[in-house]
Amino acid sequence: MTKAILIDTTLCTACRACQVACKQWHDLPAEKTTNLGSFQNPQDLSDRTYKLVRMTETVIDNRLQWLFFPDQCRHCLDAPCLSMAVDKSAIYRDDMTGAILYTQNTRHLDPEEINVSCPYDIPRAGSDGTIAKCDFCNDRIHNGLKPACVTACPTGAMQFGDREDILSMADDRLKRVRKKFPGARLLNPDEVSVIYLVAFDPSLYSDYAVAQAHQGRGGISRSVAVRKMMGPIARMMHIG
Amino acid sequence: MKLNRRDFMKISGVTAAGIAVSGLGFDLKPVKAHAGLLKTQYAKETTTICCYCAVGCGAIVHTSRRGDGRVINIEGDPDHVINRGSLCSKGSSLKQLVENDRRLTEPMYRAPFSDKWEKVSWEWALSTIAQRVKKTRDNSFEKINAARQVVNRTTRIASIGSAAMDNEECWIYQALMRSLGLVYIEHQARI
Repeated sequence: MTKAILIDTTLCTACRACQVACKQWHDLPAEKTTNLGSFQNPQDLSDRTYKLVRMTETVIDNRLQWLFFPDQCRHCLDAPCLSMAVDKSAIYRDDMTGAILYTQNTRHLDPEEINVSCPYDIPRAGSDGTIAKCDFCNDRIHNGLKPACVTACPTGAMQFGDREDILSMADDRLKRVRKKFPGARLLNPDEVSVIYLVAFDPSLYSDYAVAQAHQGRGGISRSVAVRKMMGPIARMMHIG
Repeated sequence: MKLNRRDFMKISGVTAAGIAVSGLGFDLKPVKAHAGLLKTQYAKETTTICCYCAVGCGAIVHTSRRGDGRVINIEGDPDHVINRGSLCSKGSSLKQLVENDRRLTEPMYRAPFSDKWEKVSWEWALSTIAQRVKKTRDNSFEKINAARQVVNRTTRIASIGSAAMDNEECWIYQALMRSLGLVYIEHQARI
């Protein structure tokens, strides 16, 4: 039984406890940021920020809505980054928890290629080329603890458990939330281990809230497109 | 880039024996253990109360048993009745109170009209504070006010702080300030 996280954005207050708890557990350094007029900080994920509460101010039905989206790796059931990676020791899946894990060997992969393969725009490369992202706190899960972000969440917006339990919890929550927000929906629940519940159009929360064909930073290059098609074969040849 | 702490990567090949007792009911035999060791595995656990606000969330401090006793991790205490494991963003960063290269470990002094801070000794700082408090207090002490009512106060010294003090510390602090005759006693969390 793999694990899953439910993130109910209607309960999120954007306190950013998850964001800080993630940094704390992983011993990741702070980033130098500037005030851009939003409480969202930093502005984007990086090799040292695996979790980021995205904040959007928008007007829906003549009412100001402040939308919060604690963004992180979804740990896809069938992860495109995993099939994109030629080196099996760089990206692998822990079949017990469902975590998609990146190792130091990701430094031999093409970061652009891996980033572009992600429908949620998550992986980021560091200065030495190592690609990093949320690791599902796999070490904590194996030792009977919840992921750091879920442990920290004071409002109960984040829940962790067996995939089946989380899916039924998500359905229950969706029914309740729909009474107040008729447009509420779960985001790609059958494809990912980190399931979001949103009250409004997901594209308002983040460009990549639901799986997107990634345009990449400057568009998909020809080589990436070819690799995407040839991925499984290249992988087989590499292993063989 | 700092990935050296991510020990689970390095030890991904270890056998599952070490975590077979994790109580999760996993069958660990067919797969390799991906994350056998927690960074807090051998740490000493001490409970504490978050110092930041009046909610009083409980936290667990993990410290190294290897001599230096440094803090490895601080997270919410799941058994604590107030917060049941959760913490806010300030509470989640508690470790930085201790493990922080920007933490001041010596008293700093900025002289009147100076534009820079300088390191001073504890002895100098404490005796200088005492001397100046005494001088200001003695020079400004009012025994009676304009209406000839006994007030026994000074209005030239104010105190601001501290949200980080516990109940007993607050009592001692109040006693000291009141005995000096201060009336401007405020708490920075309210400002």
